[in-house]
Amino acid sequence: MTSGGAEKLEELRREVRAWLRENLPKGWGTPEYVAPEPFSEEQHELGKAWTKKLYDAGYTGFGYPKEYGGIERPPQEIAVIREELARTGTPGGPLSLGLLVAAPTILSHGEDWQKERFIPKVLSGEESWCEGFSEPDAGSDLANVQTTAVRDGDEWIVNGSKCWTSMWAYADWGLLVAKTEPDAPRHRNLSYFLFDTTTPGFSRRPLRQMSGEAEFGEMFFDDMRVPHKNMMGEQGRGWYVAMTALQHERSGGGAFFGGAGGVDLAGLTDRRAAAVESLAELAKNTKRYGKVIWEDDMFRQRIAQFAIEAQAMRWSGARMIAKMRKGMVSGNEASVVKNFQAEMRQRRGDMVMEIIGAYSQLVRGSKRAVDEGDWVYDMLRSRGATIEMGTSEINRNIIAERILGLPRQ
Amino acid sequence: MEFSLNEEQEMLKTMARDFLANECPKTLVRELMEDEVGHSPELWKKIAEVGWLGLIFPEEYGGSGMNFRDLTILFEEMGRAMLPGPFFSTLILAGLPILTAGNEEQKKEFLPKIANGEAVFTLAALEEDGDLWPEGIQLRAVRRGEDYIINGTKLFVPDAKAADYILVAARTKRTANPEEGITLLLVDTTEWGIYASPLKTMDETRKQYDVVFNNVPVSAKNIIGEVDQGWPILKDMAIKATAALCAEMVGGGEWVLETTVNYAKERIAFGVPIGSFQIIKHKCADMYSALEYARSLMEWAAESIKDDSPNAATAVSMAKSYCGDAYKQVTDHGVQIHGGIGFTWDHDMHLYFKRARSSDTAFGDSNYHRELIAKQYD
Repeated sequence: MTSGGAEKLEELRREVRAWLRENLPKGWGTPEYVAPEPFSEEQHELGKAWTKKLYDAGYTGFGYPKEYGGIERPPQEIAVIREELARTGTPGGPLSLGLLVAAPTILSHGEDWQKERFIPKVLSGEESWCEGFSEPDAGSDLANVQTTAVRDGDEWIVNGSKCWTSMWAYADWGLLVAKTEPDAPRHRNLSYFLFDTTTPGFSRRPLRQMSGEAEFGEMFFDDMRVPHKNMMGEQGRGWYVAMTALQHERSGGGAFFGGAGGVDLAGLTDRRAAAVESLAELAKNTKRYGKVIWEDDMFRQRIAQFAIEAQAMRWSGARMIAKMRKGMVSGNEASVVKNFQAEMRQRRGDMVMEIIGAYSQLVRGSKRAVDEGDWVYDMLRSRGATIEMGTSEINRNIIAERILGLPRQ
Repeated sequence: MEFSLNEEQEMLKTMARDFLANECPKTLVRELMEDEVGHSPELWKKIAEVGWLGLIFPEEYGGSGMNFRDLTILFEEMGRAMLPGPFFSTLILAGLPILTAGNEEQKKEFLPKIANGEAVFTLAALEEDGDLWPEGIQLRAVRRGEDYIINGTKLFVPDAKAADYILVAARTKRTANPEEGITLLLVDTTEWGIYASPLKTMDETRKQYDVVFNNVPVSAKNIIGEVDQGWPILKDMAIKATAALCAEMVGGGEWVLETTVNYAKERIAFGVPIGSFQIIKHKCADMYSALEYARSLMEWAAESIKDDSPNAATAVSMAKSYCGDAYKQVTDHGVQIHGGIGFTWDHDMHLYFKRARSSDTAFGDSNYHRELIAKQYD
């Protein structure tokens, strides 16, 4: 790179810093700042507004073609922008699976009008998305979807229900898999739709999970009409579109393949839990039966193992990026990453419970809870991590069958 | 950091795999297992001819000036082929200390001998306690005129019977700091007073010996590095040796995975291939995942050494810890999935199972390296 290029990058860095000072919420990064409640409407609205601002400034929306609203910049500039955003931290995006799942899936399977209509509004944060896949009788056996869509002229009439819907509450649009060919064999009887959540016949309600909050929802379709043009991919081929969507979700949309240089243990609700330092800190500050935990070899070994695994994930991400550049990576690798991460998170939660002993009983809301109860929360929440986005068992099947070529049962 | 092989490296890998498939079949591995010396001079000559022994030496010393990452590609293939013999001992254990700490005269004399396959080298560092650490080095070398006289016993000395030279880590001074007072002496094995007797080892592809030194004279000219300052040289070598070993472990692990998956596809039980059972699939998936992350850490470690990164020691400890656990787990599953045949002497699976164990203990096992990482958070 010429020195002129380096100067230009420094100029961009100054520009982003100035922009952040101007635009971050009041009090950001100081104790005075009060973050909205997790999964609240306030958080969602803040995320939408923030993403729009970023997009208008040209600081997000990368990786998509210009005609679909993508913002094109040289990779060095993108790196500078991401570094600066990571340095201050930001309010994050809306409660939406738009960036993670909808946009990449629409890009790979959508018709031109669908790409033009939907992707720009995902990138700009204006529209949020949820995903209607799982049903009470179709979890790991996703092909067993019972929600039906019956053709009526230019429309499809949808009936049934979905559960375990992430980012359900404020979604403007939904991705939907429904059975359209009741007599066709498995995997060839489903179609994929994009639906407007303001359509009559659609309703939703929260689904409370074992960690106490309702991060997920249930959706109900009662003669909901979806225009035929909102079908994505071929009729009867919805299973394959859904598989692409799931791969995007598992791999974090490529977001943690390398990140902004740091080690981000994705899936965490709290930055505190992300860092190995915080585990060591907790072990140093905790005594059991009069003995400092950090002086116990067993805990030292286990905490060091998390440091090692975090680096393993980081460099695995770097290797996957290198393979992607050569076109050598299949979406199935996402199952490896997803399982590794989810199982690590669960092990970490369990270990912290052993460290804090009696205090492992105290949850958020108790004044005596350790670190505001975040560890206990994450231990509980991590039980879902090995179930959502394909259970660990399903992901192992994917690794065995699609990567290693072992025979299907 | 570069995480994909360039064209030259791809070629090296392909060439290495073909070469070892032809020149080091399992029949030869087993032949050498039965042999007390465990070294094939014919194979050694061919290895020298393809230039592997001088791969990372500068051209002026008869080498081809390639880098450490290139070398680890060879080690991956050697681990896969279960190459027996003194390659690791010669090039890594003794060759690297001479390369990094030898004087010009020593480098000119010994490095070409290594590169062209003329002589086999090894290192005698471990003693009775079995650990590579300064306190473990107690064998005495005492100055007498122009010579040092060595007396004592070294244990776990690899390839001692094949070796023409043994680099001996000896104690030449005792101070409060055990890292001080260790000297590296290059001993010609034709000297009187060196008695090597084989240790009966679990991993028979790696020959190890109990070596007694009885008034063995070494010229002061053959000190590698400075008198009393040998420990940092050993420590530096150990970091690189550990990374090379990790590459070998990953290569071996990948052989086990491939062999096991192929077996699971072919072996019929209850009328179907056993690989269609989820319990088998899930074990295979776990093997794949363990090797994926083992490889990532190993490549990071190799790249860090190549780039002379300040993180190299950390990367190597993380890699060794992870690779050690992964190789053991992968070979556990390999034996188990093969069932009865995997428990036989005739099947090759046990060679890898045992290699995983001997590799784990070499240069610090997984627990040792995890503790080094923990110390960084003290």
